Amino acid sequence: MAEEKRVTRVQELIYELTVSDVMKEDVIAIPVQTKMSELRETLRSNHISGAPIVDGDKLIGIISLQDFIDWLAEGQSDCSISEMMTVDVKTLYIDEPLVNVIDKFDKYGFGRFPVITRRGERLVGILTKGTIVEGLLEKLAITRREEEELRYRTNSIFENIIADKINMNLQYTIVAQDFQRAGGSASGLKKTLKYFNIHPRIVRRVAVATYEAEMNIVIYGNGGEILVKIEPHQIEIVALDSGQGIPDIEKAMQPGYSTAPSWIREMGFGAGMGLANIKKCVDEMSLTSTVGEGTHLKMSINI
Amino acid sequence: MKLEKIKDILQAEVIVGADDLQKEVKMACGCDLMSDVLAFVKSGSILLTGLVNPQCVRTAEVSDIIAICFVRGKKPPNETKKLAEEKNIVLLATDLLLYESCGELYNAGLPGCSEYGEDF
Amino acid sequence: MKLNEIVEKLNLEVMSGANKLDNEVKRGYVSDLLSDVIAHSQEGDVWVTLQIHQNVVAVASLNNLSGIVLVNGRYPEDETIQKAETEGIPIVVSKLPAFEVVGRLYNLGILGVADAGGV
Repeated sequence: MAEEKRVTRVQELIYELTVSDVMKEDVIAIPVQTKMSELRETLRSNHISGAPIVDGDKLIGIISLQDFIDWLAEGQSDCSISEMMTVDVKTLYIDEPLVNVIDKFDKYGFGRFPVITRRGERLVGILTKGTIVEGLLEKLAITRREEEELRYRTNSIFENIIADKINMNLQYTIVAQDFQRAGGSASGLKKTLKYFNIHPRIVRRVAVATYEAEMNIVIYGNGGEILVKIEPHQIEIVALDSGQGIPDIEKAMQPGYSTAPSWIREMGFGAGMGLANIKKCVDEMSLTSTVGEGTHLKMSINI
Repeated sequence: MKLEKIKDILQAEVIVGADDLQKEVKMACGCDLMSDVLAFVKSGSILLTGLVNPQCVRTAEVSDIIAICFVRGKKPPNETKKLAEEKNIVLLATDLLLYESCGELYNAGLPGCSEYGEDF
Repeated sequence: MKLNEIVEKLNLEVMSGANKLDNEVKRGYVSDLLSDVIAHSQEGDVWVTLQIHQNVVAVASLNNLSGIVLVNGRYPEDETIQKAETEGIPIVVSKLPAFEVVGRLYNLGILGVADAGGV
């Protein structure tokens, strides 16, 4: 069981991690002006079997032990390294996910790939199979520590509860027009959810949706409440207010549509993205509103 | 890109989180409207903005933004600093305009949110 | 650099002011806060923003900006387009976020401030 979970985590990591997470940054690069006769000493003193060749910080080639052997075989005329290097270098971009990288190792059969930036093609690191394995092991160790910590916390909450159905209700009070404290509920909820064994991605979606709903209550709602129900399979969030209400819900849902006054916009809100954002974050939402009476927004996210 | 490097490129002052400059950010987002930040930003970003109110830190907190850099010489009020310390968000401040800040970082190789793989 | 060159290089969609694309772009400015743009942008700036409200046209016209680039694929409201046509303000749309649009403009040599004293 535990074994199975580890394997899945490795697979997840291969998708989550990018080249920058595992590459070696202090790459030994050889300036293009270097002579072939100087190469042996560089390789030997650094214990490497090849190196990228740079002009300034721009990658222009790569040299391997094989190239060095070829040069020896050809009679060791003291030419510049640029005459012996491989120019058609297969590289990796710094932001590529590891899953692409593994494909490339398979496809080309090379032992190392220089890592470059997308723009400017500057050499920023190097990746070998060894650095990938080190990177994965390190992340796995972190994951394991985090999981153990989480399990401990979750257990300490629920281990003594015996019931056929468990749910936890949380209630937050939202004060109208209070921009200093606004966001406190979303923040409190996010912090609280860390004590349950819930994936960070889901926690983030809950936090963003709650924050948007909370800002709506602060700006338009004349104050109100956020009610949260945590169940083993889902989190339900209800945002209630007794404010001005929404005359045209369909219009309000359109990205970019806003009735916010300019001072709200200057605060960085009221861009008309709130409800659209919420929709993106949650699995289900229902919005009802009566002008002059208030708004009732119910959202649920599956765990 | 390490925060340390971003600080150097933007000649920024560290306001909160001087011990966290070795943290790595994956991408940047330049925006003054928090809803758009929430809609488009991915976790592990740095937010460049001209807004200094505490809601920037809230936005960072809920969307897993690691650091905020305030631009055009704006300095955050104490509420913002306090909240950032509490929530472990690094705050930087630069005299550069948002425009220069984006331009310099982009050209130093920091990707934007649309270029950076899938959301996490 | 003229606006139409930028439109071409950044693959932008023209929403208004098609006859004004030969406007000379001197510098760039990026902000979503109208008061900030009014206070700090300069004549000839191309303005990068995600605000689509018709007030953007008023601001651009007030400061004689060379054009407006809307980001994140946000299209202007109908009122905004109408107003832009009347005022002769080019509005163009990019699918990219502001950070990347500015990065690319910067690459094309459109810088932010005319001189050190400009801010």
